[in-house]
Amino acid sequence: MIVSYIIMGIVIAASLLIQGHPSFDVIRIAGVKPDMLFIVIVYLSYSFGSFTGEVTGFIGGLFHDVVSRSPLGLLALPKVVLGFLIGMFGRGMFKNTIVTVAIMLFLASLLKGIITLFLAYIFHQGSISQVLDVILPESFYNALMAPFIFILLDKIFERELEREGHL
Amino acid sequence: MEFLERNKTVVAFISFTLFCIISLSVQSSSFTLTFEGIGSALIMPFQKGYDGIQGGIRTIWAGFTDLSEVREELHKTRVKLQNYESISDDFSEIKRENERLRHLLEMKERLTFESVPASIISKDPDNWFRTLIINRGTSDGIKENMPVIAFRKGQKAVVGKIIEARGSISRIIPIISPDLNVGVKLQESRYPGLLYGYSSNTALCKVDYISRGAVIKKNDIVITSGQGGIFPPGLLVGRVIKSDILESSAYQRAVVVPFIDYHLVEEVFVIKRDPDGEILKLLGEQQ
Repeated sequence: MIVSYIIMGIVIAASLLIQGHPSFDVIRIAGVKPDMLFIVIVYLSYSFGSFTGEVTGFIGGLFHDVVSRSPLGLLALPKVVLGFLIGMFGRGMFKNTIVTVAIMLFLASLLKGIITLFLAYIFHQGSISQVLDVILPESFYNALMAPFIFILLDKIFERELEREGHL
Repeated sequence: MEFLERNKTVVAFISFTLFCIISLSVQSSSFTLTFEGIGSALIMPFQKGYDGIQGGIRTIWAGFTDLSEVREELHKTRVKLQNYESISDDFSEIKRENERLRHLLEMKERLTFESVPASIISKDPDNWFRTLIINRGTSDGIKENMPVIAFRKGQKAVVGKIIEARGSISRIIPIISPDLNVGVKLQESRYPGLLYGYSSNTALCKVDYISRGAVIKKNDIVITSGQGGIFPPGLLVGRVIKSDILESSAYQRAVVVPFIDYHLVEEVFVIKRDPDGEILKLLGEQQ
């Protein structure tokens, strides 16, 4: 079990480092890049349940806040909420196919964006134009990337998925 | 205890949510800053290490692939050097004449500032914010509000300003961020304006509050005006690609593409220039 947590920590740290590295900017489309950390958190929540999802969402989100210019909690809270919600349904409800994963990530990213915008509006500064500038393009991009990242993560967490009875 | 164990998912969810909301509510408190400091200290060594490994691999690879390009570049540089040597005499004469004319006009000698070279080790991982992190901090004499520039085709142009300085790293807010305002003017017509980021997902800027009387042409150069107390006057910012006269406003707006591309910038220079404290204090009081 401890090994699983260590692997989860490494995967989260790696996704955050890759996402923050200057060379990752090359893959920007329409001015946005995919939120790798969020895709990883959705995967963990989808595969291992709400508790794992919200804990990894909280820890990963806090580190995301630290390396970003956002106030502490602004990027963490949406990840906690989505980690909790997606874990409630999980693999039992959504089968692991390319289409369902893409749709799930699109809807989850959309909801994450709306929560972030709402929090930014209250605690920081938010503008409705960010729905078109950030939220929609990022949701599409996340949906596009998610099936490939899910396949990769399925390989990494093969043993854990077997133990949970998903394989 | 049994209740907590049985409902750990809901308890954790409520605790995390409360933590985030309280943290967002008390952002200005020292607790939040200390926590962020600890977080930065934890993650930054990994970022630096990752950047170092990637840089090393890139350097080794470049050694194999770029050798012929380097040879060609060397040849071109030698030719250029010969040309420069031949014009250096003319240049020194022009410089002397320039100094004499400046003296005649009682103009102050344009100040040059000490600068610190830095590499960009990370960019904001989120799409909501636009910041850059460099490998220089307070230990190198970097302070908040110092201007940051980079070179493009031999000319220096504005990148942004320092908004956070820690021991060995600093955070830059670039001019394409909608949160940064820079006093600028059009180089040719000298009309002033206020520059800030166009939107969250573009690498463009806009200049507002330009007089309606100003004639703005495509490719007009925009430079810093020196107002605002942070950026020295005369630094290149970008060039105009479009201008609009707003019906509902007494001013017109120009859309500007910065000389330094946010997506491609890798090396920058922090100008060690203390901002004008009086102006910053005045602006702070107004806010």
